[in-house]
Amino acid sequence: MTSKPIVRVSHVSRYFKRGAERVNVLNDLDLDVPEGQFLALMGPSGSGKTTLLNLIAGLDTPSEGEIWVGDRCVSTMNESQLARWRNEHVGFVFQFYHLLPVLSAFENVELPLLLLPLSARKRREQVMTALELVGLNDRNSHLPSQLSGGQQQRVGIARAIVTDPTLIVADEPTGDLDAKSAHEILDLLGTLQRSLNKTILMVTHDLRAARRADRIQHLDKGRLVDQPDEELYEAG
Amino acid sequence: MKFMMLIFKNLRRNLVRSMLTSAGVMVLVFVITLIWSILGFLDMATSEKSANFKGIVTEKWSIPSQLPFSYANTLENGAAREESDVKPMDSMTWQFFIGSVDKTNIGFSTFIFAFCMEPKKLLTMMDELDSLQPGPKAELDKAIKAMEANRQGIIVGQKRLAAIEKKVGDRIKVFGINYRDLELECEIVGTFPPGRYDNNTCINRDYLNASLDAYKASKGKPHPLAEKTLNLVWVKVPTKDSFTKMSGQIDNSPMFAAPPVKIETASSGVSNFLAAYKDLLMILRYLLAPAIIITLTVVISNAISISVRERRKEMAVLKVIGFQPNQIIFLVLGEAILLGVVAGAISSIGTYYFVNRVIGGIPFQIAFFSSFPVLDGALWWGAAIGFITSFAGSILPALSTRSIKVVDVFSKVA
Amino acid sequence: MVDAVPQQRVQSQLPNRIVDGILAIMKVLGIMLLFILVTALVITFFLYFVTLDNAWLLIPASFSFFGLMLLIVYFAKIPIGYNLRNLTVRYRTTLLTSVAFILVTGVLTGLMGFINGLKRLAQATGNPANVIVLSQGSTEEAVSNLAFESMGDIAQQEGVERRNDEPLCSRESYLVLSLPIAEPVPGSPTRRLLQVRGLFDPVASAQVHDFDLLPGGEWFSAAGVRPDADPNKPPLVEVVLGQGIARQLAGDRSAAARAQARNPEQLEVGDTIPLDTRELVVTGIMKTEGTTFDSEVWSKQSVIGPLLGKSNYTTLVLRATDAQQAQKLEDFFMGKDKDFKYEKTQVNAFTETNYYKSQSQTSVQLLIGTILVATVMGFGGVMGVMNTMFAAISQRVKDIGMLRLLGFSRWRILVSFLTESLLIALLGGLIGCVLGYMCNGLQATSIIGGGAGPGGKAVVFRVVVDWGVLGIGLTLSMLMGFVGGLIPALSAMRFKPLEALRG
Repeated sequence: MTSKPIVRVSHVSRYFKRGAERVNVLNDLDLDVPEGQFLALMGPSGSGKTTLLNLIAGLDTPSEGEIWVGDRCVSTMNESQLARWRNEHVGFVFQFYHLLPVLSAFENVELPLLLLPLSARKRREQVMTALELVGLNDRNSHLPSQLSGGQQQRVGIARAIVTDPTLIVADEPTGDLDAKSAHEILDLLGTLQRSLNKTILMVTHDLRAARRADRIQHLDKGRLVDQPDEELYEAG
Repeated sequence: MKFMMLIFKNLRRNLVRSMLTSAGVMVLVFVITLIWSILGFLDMATSEKSANFKGIVTEKWSIPSQLPFSYANTLENGAAREESDVKPMDSMTWQFFIGSVDKTNIGFSTFIFAFCMEPKKLLTMMDELDSLQPGPKAELDKAIKAMEANRQGIIVGQKRLAAIEKKVGDRIKVFGINYRDLELECEIVGTFPPGRYDNNTCINRDYLNASLDAYKASKGKPHPLAEKTLNLVWVKVPTKDSFTKMSGQIDNSPMFAAPPVKIETASSGVSNFLAAYKDLLMILRYLLAPAIIITLTVVISNAISISVRERRKEMAVLKVIGFQPNQIIFLVLGEAILLGVVAGAISSIGTYYFVNRVIGGIPFQIAFFSSFPVLDGALWWGAAIGFITSFAGSILPALSTRSIKVVDVFSKVA
Repeated sequence: MVDAVPQQRVQSQLPNRIVDGILAIMKVLGIMLLFILVTALVITFFLYFVTLDNAWLLIPASFSFFGLMLLIVYFAKIPIGYNLRNLTVRYRTTLLTSVAFILVTGVLTGLMGFINGLKRLAQATGNPANVIVLSQGSTEEAVSNLAFESMGDIAQQEGVERRNDEPLCSRESYLVLSLPIAEPVPGSPTRRLLQVRGLFDPVASAQVHDFDLLPGGEWFSAAGVRPDADPNKPPLVEVVLGQGIARQLAGDRSAAARAQARNPEQLEVGDTIPLDTRELVVTGIMKTEGTTFDSEVWSKQSVIGPLLGKSNYTTLVLRATDAQQAQKLEDFFMGKDKDFKYEKTQVNAFTETNYYKSQSQTSVQLLIGTILVATVMGFGGVMGVMNTMFAAISQRVKDIGMLRLLGFSRWRILVSFLTESLLIALLGGLIGCVLGYMCNGLQATSIIGGGAGPGGKAVVFRVVVDWGVLGIGLTLSMLMGFVGGLIPALSAMRFKPLEALRG
């Protein structure tokens, strides 16, 4: 693994206006993530971890500061540039999977590829590769409703990696799963990280999930903190 | 009461949908109101009355009917010759004068269609004019008095007056179209109340007949139509029996040999004329009106099914806290019906006042009817249509709420 | 296997910029094209609504519009299967919504077919080389009154075709006869208004109007009457019937007479029609289908005129040497040219083509009524489809959020949802057209005439649902789908991805 950071967050602040009041969600935050690292972001509710994830994934733009992913400055892109950039460089995994209910597993995974200039054959190859990686190549024609929660999340992961993104962001990927399925999903993420050298950013409440990562970063009140109150997570 | 509030709040919640649906209801009810008014009016005109019959005497075979004016006197008495014969309660003669205020340019802006008759009969024999409110009646009576005082006085319908760009008090010259080479010099002394006679004109029959005499005197020979000036005679009789009896008197009278005449009830005369429009009216009655009502039902049904589907989880919560299935059905039905009835009523009542008061009738030409009033029934039609269509459209979605299970509360995707 | 993936990305990056550029241009072009197409559609729609002549063009136009939408969808990359499957999953809503489209399109095509049939009838009736002469001021035969003496001179004018050194013309007296129906059904009319044309010279009239008789028939004799089998009865009045009226009169007979008739559906040569104390006998049936003469009874004026108390002539029809001459004659009699006009009597003259065109005024009124009804029903349909699409969108907010997250930009979402409503419209429109087409060929009666009063002619005709009518139906349906889908689709486009995902 190289030490060169693939994600560089420098002096980033994010605040919202609520009436006349300014609510600071992130305060002058710095964070580097080296390429190929599996980073877990933890923190209590309202600590700003999801906001940070959204900023890095190009879903939101910082009020102050810069965010670089690879050699691109994400924080200065406009909306349509961001859309294209996300399509090519970021894979998303969600707590509730967010698969389109009327499309089959295969079609759901194929969706992001449709925006790229690929032949149908090429797309098929990539989708099958991705489904194989998540161990679902025999379920490709199933609708989401015909799959278990764990399987749906694997489809979600396959959709996230099918474009071979620079970065995979996962927001509570195990939050809606039972312990066994959660375990499998985390195994899968770990495997992807090691074998494909993917950089993964995961937001979670679950300390057991976080412990599977290379590094755990805690947030509180919009700042990174080094010594978390472990008790907090055990309780949650 | 709380229930009503809940229904009301539900309607307000998706305001866009409620507005779209009510807009749909309103326009569709508007068209149905127009169609039903036209059909209803024609039905009234063609349905046989049981008392105060109006009969029409016309030429037996030929249309348009053209009788010699010498028939007028006898026919006005119902061809009664003996004491025991039936005499009409009232009667009226019609001579049509079709003309133009411009000799060379004949068209919409110059055209005059006039009944030449005894002015006083306007108030006793003409449909609708015989049952005017005191105000308009007094006004028309004033015009009639003016016509009687000055036989060149005429009454012109308001729309016609506007079309020929004249006003009450003006003098006009009307050039005959059916009576060739006959020119009438008239003074407009009044106008009809708005509605049915908007495009008609009334001329004193004495003036037409005097003009025909003058024609004979100046040209040395009678006008070609001189023996064909009487088009219609109206008689009013109290009962069906007296009508049948009078019909016998007229058929058997030796007076009417050439040309022969016939008498028919006003309603049957109208329905004979409408025969040619039969298919058109059938289309209106049996195709268009039902199609619109079905469309309406479908639009409401669609809106309500969508509401129900979106609120399944909410309804499950209601069931959890103790609502009965029937109460939920009532909630859904109530929402649909409230919307349907209110939107329908607003539309048809609005149509009633707007068309009758502002426009002065539905402008649609069928046979000799050129304008139709929106019938009084319109005041309740809209609410009724709204009720029936919204009930029909919402009953299935409402019943479907029975299948909502309480456990749905805990599922994420309801 | 996995190694191939990164390579692919490197390859894809360069052409991506070009694709971006093309897509951007496509986007602008697409919006412009859409705008132009919609405007053009609306304009052609109303243009062709009135003329109906080239309305069939609307069919390729609607389909190419739909094709264009599909093409844009292809470029938008959201698979059309996504829409199709959503439509089938919510099949009940889809069907309900399309019912509105089916009804509107069906009713509209049916009504337009009715109007089209009337219009065809009026168009088919006129012979462009014939000139119809009426008395001054008359625009309808029923109120015309021509002096017999003046007709001779009118026919002698230059431009009128001559046969055997005589001008080819038809002197006619048009009148409407009110004939009692033998056994009227209670509540329905007791009399039939019969259009009778008394002819001075039937042979000349047949030549001018160019009608043949069906086999077995013959024109009336020189006397116009023939003796009755019973010598104590007055002679029978000979008449020739149009095909349509022959069918209708067959239905007016009493049940007993119908049971005895040779043909219960249509009067045949030799059948009689009672008229007061006299009887009319059918000597022939004219091939008049598709013209207004289809509803007429022809007889000898010298016989029928006195019988019905109408001794004057109403109409003089001249056969000009050709259509151009006919137009010249019209101008000549109408005094359109100051230096070259007919001075002796003042008459109204029209080429038959122009005359019957003016007679289709009634269909204009019907057309206006139909447009009103169609617009209002269409409005109802639009409300329906808007509800459906708004609901579809609110149900799929998360889908939209996900798609936006994955990089599908706003216009792609717009196109996808707009196409979905157009799919419903196309489905409903096509079924509605099929329903409307089922009215094609139905026999109907109506009135044609210049407008006011009871002067119009009752005519029998067939409903004509042709490509033009179907084109109008389909176009209206697509327009409804477009208008009803556009506003919800615009709202779908506005969702912010994150907010949408949070729900």
